[in-house]
Amino acid sequence: MKFMTGLLSAAIVGLAVAMPAQAETLRVGMECTYAPFNYRTPEGEMAGYDVDVAKGIAERIGVDLDYVCQEWDGMIPSLLANKFDLIVASMSITEERKQKIDFSIPYRVSVGRILGSKEASLKLFDEAGNPIPDAFNGLRFGVERASTYAKWVEAKLPGAEISLYDGAQPMLLDLQNGRIDIAITNPMKAYLDFLSKENGAGFEFVSPPIDEVEYFGPGVGVGLRKGNDELLAKIDTALDEMIKDGSLEKYSLQYFPFSIHPSNWKGVGQ
Amino acid sequence: MSFDLSLIAVSLPKILQGLGLTLNLLAVSTLFGLILAVGILLMRLSRRAWLVWPAKAYIYFFRGTPLLVQLFVIYHGLPQFGFIRQSVLWPLLREPYWCSVIALSLNTAAYVSEILRGGVLGVDKGLIEAGKALGLSKFQRTSRITAPLAVRLALPAYSNEIVSMLKSTALASTVTLMEMTGVARTIVADTFAPYEIFIAATIIYLVLVWIIQTGFTLVETYANRHVRKT
Repeated sequence: MKFMTGLLSAAIVGLAVAMPAQAETLRVGMECTYAPFNYRTPEGEMAGYDVDVAKGIAERIGVDLDYVCQEWDGMIPSLLANKFDLIVASMSITEERKQKIDFSIPYRVSVGRILGSKEASLKLFDEAGNPIPDAFNGLRFGVERASTYAKWVEAKLPGAEISLYDGAQPMLLDLQNGRIDIAITNPMKAYLDFLSKENGAGFEFVSPPIDEVEYFGPGVGVGLRKGNDELLAKIDTALDEMIKDGSLEKYSLQYFPFSIHPSNWKGVGQ
Repeated sequence: MSFDLSLIAVSLPKILQGLGLTLNLLAVSTLFGLILAVGILLMRLSRRAWLVWPAKAYIYFFRGTPLLVQLFVIYHGLPQFGFIRQSVLWPLLREPYWCSVIALSLNTAAYVSEILRGGVLGVDKGLIEAGKALGLSKFQRTSRITAPLAVRLALPAYSNEIVSMLKSTALASTVTLMEMTGVARTIVADTFAPYEIFIAATIIYLVLVWIIQTGFTLVETYANRHVRKT
């Protein structure tokens, strides 16, 4: 018996020594409910643009991935509490967030567009693409609470009659029902969930893409705890490669009929 | 996790900007709710089954479902029907304010009618018989004996309902209204500091509840001034 145990231990030790060094595992935080960026398919698989980007990075720097689903409001606190190592969750790079965490280079644009009814044929922007404040008079403006869009609206249109929403879904419902006249949101989500569907048939974009860096930041990036400069450099190199070799382009086109990464943003098709 | 006391002080005046709307919602829906409650009470106390059953059904429905669900049905549900958006009611139902007032009023009416019914049932039968013996008409007995005594008996439970209504107005923040909780939630989303901001809101709610409680204690003392304390 003793002999057997000894043999077994020796075998285990031998096995461990013979095994190649295990690839490091990085835990990635995302909402898992934000289709088409990060979500679960009906089969339970993680999918979406953020997931593709995370997989692309992992492949290039040679690590395994573990997905951690986390609600949006706790995303940064959970990263700081070491619940996961990376945020790949469509998080825009902003000055406020940069005080708490580091960001990679952007892997997707951060942009807003205003939606309105086709019938009203609104003209809210001048030729140069700047908002005409008077044109917004008397229009009820739907905005998501504390979003980058809200910051932009507050700064550019201080007189606007704003209704604050907790998410894009109830806001678009109210737009459809006529409680609000216009709404600003992520044009990619708006296109997929609303404009391209029957519900949104009577609506269109009534603004150019709005992406002033001052409000919207340079785009969406991978977030990580401060002090991980080596990993950050590896991720930046991987993303740069993915932009150059067309991987990001390929990922975009899986979900949208247009590109959504910063070096190739042409706007959402009408 | 850092706790920032100064943030409470800074956010208090901002949250107070929503105080007007909170009190407005409370006052308007309490008033409408009370009027409706009296109507439902009269139906409920009637001897005619076709009046009693609708009142019972109403009370069962509005006490039996969450106020948040009622608000969502009125706010998100009704506009799904095209005819409602074409109807004369739409200018009212389009407004989140009126949707909130309607939901709060309908809900509180169910509770208040039951509170008042408790008061009516609590009135001593002997007093009504005495009224009969004195030759008072049915209307006189109701207005001079039953109603004042029922109100007096119902006051403590009614004050409870007003306090509960004050807290229910916070639900209006889910349909875009910027009453105190709506303002607080917006500040939280901007500052990532839920504890401090919601503590500030809590302080204001507690002060309001204290005012309501004290007010009702005064009213109760006044209403019972003829009752000798033993």
